[in-house]
Parts: sequence; C-alpha cells; structure tokens
Amino acid sequence: MTDPDAPLDEIDLAILDQVRSLHSVLDPPPAGLDERIAFAIALETVDLEVARLQEDLLVGSGARGTERIRTMTFDAESLTIMIAIAELPDGLLRLDGWLAPAAAMRVELRVAADTGPARVAFADESGRFVFHGVGHGLAQLLVRRGSGGSTASIVTPSLML
Amino acid sequence: MSADARASDRTARAARLASCLERARGGDRSALHEVVRELNPLLWHVARTQGLPGEESADVVQTTWLELLRRLHDIRSPEALTAWLVTTTRRESWRVRERLRHRANDGDHALETLADPDPGADERLLADERHRILRRHFARLPKRCRTLLRIVALIDRPDYAVVAEALEMPRGSIGPTRGRCLAKLREMLLADAAWSAT
Repeated sequence: MTDPDAPLDEIDLAILDQVRSLHSVLDPPPAGLDERIAFAIALETVDLEVARLQEDLLVGSGARGTERIRTMTFDAESLTIMIAIAELPDGLLRLDGWLAPAAAMRVELRVAADTGPARVAFADESGRFVFHGVGHGLAQLLVRRGSGGSTASIVTPSLML
Repeated sequence: MSADARASDRTARAARLASCLERARGGDRSALHEVVRELNPLLWHVARTQGLPGEESADVVQTTWLELLRRLHDIRSPEALTAWLVTTTRRESWRVRERLRHRANDGDHALETLADPDPGADERLLADERHRILRRHFARLPKRCRTLLRIVALIDRPDYAVVAEALEMPRGSIGPTRGRCLAKLREMLLADAAWSAT
C-alpha cells in the first residue's frame, strides 16, 4: 500500500468487517446492557443531573447472620445519594437511603417489574428515606428538587437489585 | 459480501441512524432505543479500549446515555451525535479509571482487575476458523494498531474526528496510522495460506 490516505478497497473493508465481527465475539457488551439503558432513559423529564455510582459494597452477612446488606453510593454534582439494601426473610428488599447534604426532598423509585407509577418516599430533614417491600430486578432512583434554585432532578443509573 | 453490498449496507445504516435521531429529538423514545442499540457496541469498545473492566465499562456507557438526554436537543446530525457520545464515553472512562487508580493506592486491589482490553479469550472459543486466523495475526499488531482498528471497524464512514476523540490521537495522524495498521494486518493475512483458503 503506497498512500496511507487512499480510500479503502474491497479487501480492506472485508478485513475491517472481520475485525468488527471478531471483537463482537471476543468481547461483546454484557447481555442485557441495551435493556438496562432503555429502562434508565425511559424518563419523562430530561432536566437531569446524573448521579454516578461511586461504590457498590456487600457488607458481610449482617449482624444477625441472616441479613446481607449491600451499600451503594452515587455522586452527583450537588448531591450524594447513599442506599443500604437489605434482603428480608420474605425475599423482598428494604431500601434505606440518605441524601447529603441533608434535605427534605421527594424521592422516586422506579422498578422495572412494577407496572404502575414510581414508588414515592419523602426524605426527612436529615435526608433519610426508606422504601419497604421492594422486589428484585432493575430499579432507578430519582430525587426531585424542591422549589428554588436548580430544577434539575438527580437520577441514578439503573441498578440491578 | 461484495463491495457494493457492503457499501450500501453501511449507507443504509447511516440513513437509519439519521432518521432515528430526528425522531428521538422529537421525543420518540422508541427511536432513541434504536439509536442505543445501533451505537452501544461502539461505546462499549471505546470504554474497553480505555482500559476499564467490564462492569465499569457498562456503567460508563449507561452514564453516557443518561447524560445525552439533556443534550439531545443540541445535537443535529448523526456525526455530531457519534462524536458527542464517543467523547463523553472517553471522559467518563477516564474519570472512572482515575477513581479505580485512587482506590488501588489506598490498598484496594480494584486496579488489578484492570484487564488488557484485548481479552485473552481462549482461541478454542472461536468457532469460526476465519476468526481464529484473524485473531492470531491481529494479536501481533502493536497495541496502538489493535485499538485503532477495533474502533475504526465500528464506524461506518471514515470519520477521523470521531476516531481521534475516541483514542485521544491527533486528528491528522488517524488516516496515516489507520493506513499503516491495516496494511500490516492485510499483509500478514494475505501471506497466510489458511486465510486465503477460507
């Protein structure tokens, strides 16, 4: 090949197609990634601040030996969302959350398995909120800001509960 | 596939993406999902070639799409969309990589899981003989070439601006580097009797 900027010929294009196909076999995106994203972006509002996952930890087997607690921390520019997820004996989950800086705000939990509207909880003055009886599956948290200042809601990526 | 079929395949894909983008900008979420399906592989491989493990790569790709929601009204062409997505994926990857590195310094071993983005998948997993041959020769290319070709192969038109963004390479060097890398790979493949025979 003499001119590196020459347009690609048929052999080049065939090789590139093979390179594409090879990597789709060797290192494919995880199964379900498209669906996770489709769920996450199915929001009515686009006035959003994205809270990025900073930490996802499984905390031992719990003090009572039966409860495993998973803690997750999400950081947005203006807000940190922490949640602790405990699986209860009935197989459902309790989700305890904290907002920092603490503020009384409306928190919504979208669960893929739910057909109705998002569940709603209200964080108290210390920023605490709780959801009971949550099923497993894809979920997403949305924190609605009160009046005044920015109107953007804070949204987490979809998470697999 | 013939060259004509391949070219018209690529043209059709570009046209479909343009129409989906138009509808997605108008608020059609199912069109946006189609855009996701079309461009997710590219974003995935951008994150992977930035050296992120699989789980973090998936997070980065998801964050990128969420960030897109509030920018969508500013983005008018498929080229601009691809460039924006690739740039955002690279920046997000960089951010996550720094965080992992930070944790590694704190005694956490997260960084040890930072795999070579060219996975050492077992060659026996490749059912296709052509894939096995290609993989053997591809692995002999310098890392820079492997990364470049992996991304270029996912872009329908030689959009150097997008590739340059994805790889943090100067725009002017993409064409010549691509030419050299592809020539090298082509030379190895054409010299391999097994490749010509398939």
